[in-house]
Amino acid sequence: MTGVATSSPPALVEIRDLVLEAATPRGTAHILRGVSLDIGRGRILGVVGESGSGKSSLASCLLKLLPSNMTRLTGSVRFDGTDLLPLPEGQMREWRGQRIAMIFQDPMTALNPLFTVATHLVDVLRRRHGDITRAQALERARAALVSVGIADADLRLQAYPHELSGGMRQRVMIAMALLVEPDLLLADEPTTALDATVEAQIVDLLDQLRRKLSGSIVFISHHLGLVAQLCDDVCVMYGGTVVETGPVDEVLAAPLHPYTRALLACEIEAHDEGGRLVSIPGEVQDPVAPHVACVFAPRCSHALDACRAGVPALRDLGGMRKVACIRAEEFA
Amino acid sequence: MQVDTARYLVSRLITTALIVFGAMVLLFALTSLVPGDPAAILLGPQATPEFSQRMINEMGLNQPIHVRLWRFFSNVLQGNLGIDIVSGKSVLKMILEVMPYTIALTFSAIVLAVLTGVPLGVYAATHRGSVLDNVLAFVSVAFIAVPSFVIAIFLLLIFAIWLDWLPVLGTSRSGDWLDEFRRMILPTAALAMGWIGFIARLVRTSMLEVMGENYIRTSRAYGLSERLITYKYALKNACIPTITILGLGIGRLLGGAVLIEIVFARPGLGRLIYSAISERNYPVVQGAVLVVVVIFVLVNLLVDLSYSVIDPRIRHAGASRRAGE
Amino acid sequence: MRGLAATFATLRKVGGSLTGAVGLVIVALVLSCALFAPWLATHNPDALDVMNRFSPPSGAHWLGTDQLGRDLYSRMVHGASVAMLVALSSIAMALTLGLALGILAAYLPARSERIVLIVFDVIASFPSLVLALAVVAVFGPSTLIVVIVVAVTLVPHFGRVARSQVLTLKSAPFLEAEKILGASWPRIVFFHVMPNILGPLVILASMDIPVVITIEAGLSFLGLGVRPPLASWGSLIQDGYQYLSDSWVPVVVSSVALGVATLGFTLFGEALRDAVDPRIGREHG
Repeated sequence: MTGVATSSPPALVEIRDLVLEAATPRGTAHILRGVSLDIGRGRILGVVGESGSGKSSLASCLLKLLPSNMTRLTGSVRFDGTDLLPLPEGQMREWRGQRIAMIFQDPMTALNPLFTVATHLVDVLRRRHGDITRAQALERARAALVSVGIADADLRLQAYPHELSGGMRQRVMIAMALLVEPDLLLADEPTTALDATVEAQIVDLLDQLRRKLSGSIVFISHHLGLVAQLCDDVCVMYGGTVVETGPVDEVLAAPLHPYTRALLACEIEAHDEGGRLVSIPGEVQDPVAPHVACVFAPRCSHALDACRAGVPALRDLGGMRKVACIRAEEFA
Repeated sequence: MQVDTARYLVSRLITTALIVFGAMVLLFALTSLVPGDPAAILLGPQATPEFSQRMINEMGLNQPIHVRLWRFFSNVLQGNLGIDIVSGKSVLKMILEVMPYTIALTFSAIVLAVLTGVPLGVYAATHRGSVLDNVLAFVSVAFIAVPSFVIAIFLLLIFAIWLDWLPVLGTSRSGDWLDEFRRMILPTAALAMGWIGFIARLVRTSMLEVMGENYIRTSRAYGLSERLITYKYALKNACIPTITILGLGIGRLLGGAVLIEIVFARPGLGRLIYSAISERNYPVVQGAVLVVVVIFVLVNLLVDLSYSVIDPRIRHAGASRRAGE
Repeated sequence: MRGLAATFATLRKVGGSLTGAVGLVIVALVLSCALFAPWLATHNPDALDVMNRFSPPSGAHWLGTDQLGRDLYSRMVHGASVAMLVALSSIAMALTLGLALGILAAYLPARSERIVLIVFDVIASFPSLVLALAVVAVFGPSTLIVVIVVAVTLVPHFGRVARSQVLTLKSAPFLEAEKILGASWPRIVFFHVMPNILGPLVILASMDIPVVITIEAGLSFLGLGVRPPLASWGSLIQDGYQYLSDSWVPVVVSSVALGVATLGFTLFGEALRDAVDPRIGREHG
């Protein structure tokens, strides 16, 4: 579903001023520096950024699967009205595998090597539906495997993870997520670790599935092209902040933030030159550095002194578009 | 998949047989290496002409080497481990009489160590930094480092002599089950004590490592209960390094059992070997050592095979653990 | 000189952790007793004084006397020398032999290599103490026999580790480069292979010291270990054990000495391993 929503229904998830800090040997790392974001109901949000932008941490925050060296987590994450952040672990557990499901980046290590696919799926199912019998669970698991394009589902059910290829394991992970029938599905770079051909297959699969899925999806990637293909909305992240959001077609057609523009330029060049090593000059900001200015300023070709003087707010520019740049209007 | 397991099993069995074969050759070679008059040396002060002659006949010491080697092998394979020079009893019979005691002791010690150590380790892993965790950290090293016969002597001193709670030496004469059990408490505890702490620490380390793995993160992400994650998933993964180390420790355990039998004056293979050495009763020593080696090798085989039961990757690779070293 | 500085740096790291520091102190203590026993002891350890048997700790005899009136403290101190003598010589022997066989096994063709490995396995199929007993049964107890047989029980361990280290190293680019440059085989082994694998092996060896001390003590406890006049802690324990009804002091003194020494070396070995490379000998436990 593309296009601009006129009277937007309340978002499924409202994230406001999310701050995540962790202790490292070199000092406090600011992983998320005040992220504000909406995830629309039934919409697919693509979260794009380089490594270190905080996009994976954002997903972990939604599930509250936090690193052990975390020192600070503030802000609010309202899921259908309930703020998840203050919830104690026991209550948070209720949400996981029930209303929220996640697909991880590395399929090779995401499954326990000592247990069959069937065991993984059945345990997830039984957690989701307390009264289901093992036979019923197996049947549903089997059906799920078929729906993600795995032939020989019965055979694969009894297989161990090491007997499956990377692509097949990722399909199993997707099946697992689908079995939960979640309101929110988080896909953290599900194709990054796969070969190009396999990646294409998985992307196709996701494309087919998104129409069937009634919930919202967050698709995290560093690849703008994939996001363009699969998502309704896009959120561009840099250095632990959100720099731009909006419907994907609009943002890509007319990017307003310098970073988004640079990113897009890289993609186009990469496409033309067939390579992937085109990059934006400069380095990603050190997460330990304090947040007192625009995070992108050091690498921005349009930076002014004002940019370095204070943090630009994420401003609403109408039509569901938000940008965190003081010069955004000039680029419109 | 079953073909792979079968193939693995067969290859391990062949290796095991080869090793036992090699051990027999080694044991045989030891006798042959004795310089001078073997009968006189082996029997020492008991070398009366009658005993000497009996020994020479029994061990075929007056025959060429290859004949003796052949005799030795065919005898062993038929279950004939020779005859005790002094008493004339069958060595095999003597061994079978005392073997149950050694096996009972070693087995109980392992069971005690595992049943106590594993839960302690899981607790320490799930309650990091707690009092128990810290106590365990120190105790585990302290007890495994100290030789088990030293622990045995201390236990003896404290519980049997100073406090007089438990019977001291030997096994039950009355054959009373309860008495037998009470007499096993100290020896078993002495043998197991070092291992309890060690296993607990090992389980703790493995569990902590496993808990940080991505597949556990997946289970958490799907809201599986902590109990399910800890006891069904993580524990199984943590078993593998635990069994590895346990397998490596069986040798020490057996050695410890030998000494503890002597400290507590219990019958068993250890005591048998020890008294046979004092009496220069070589056939008994040879036979008993061979039996110990066979038991040791079989236990190692069991440990190796248990990997394929637990870890499907090994089943399918069909590679032996040793080949990978 | 660089090696010396590196050694001190490592020792400092070892001393950094609590367990490492304790281990270091104990090891230093034991080594001092071993080296300076004649000066640290108050009496001749073999001096009999039957009139004063089983005397309790006093000014004259710091830890009392044993069943023959010999000073326990002095015997304990000299016990350290025995323990160190046996431990260090058998480990040195095992290390040399294991290194040689391991390197050999890594370069031999597959068939011969398998034979070496099977020999390793055969030796390893005997629990150390039991193998020692079998050998002692045939050759009679003597200090030399103990050293040799303990060394033999350690050879398979060192041999396998040496072999696997060499195998990993074999594919290393710098070795390939040397071969291409025409370096001779002995040169490659002595100047390039050995220095690189010696490190982990030495660490492993130091972790085996408590194991050797324990086996030797066990054998001496059975009366099958070192021979008089050498008195190991194991024989002291045996003496004390036999006369337990007369006095518990000898047994406790010698047991504590043995226990503390093995504990100290274990702590030290583990801290050393952690300071250099925590991955070494993971299976060693």
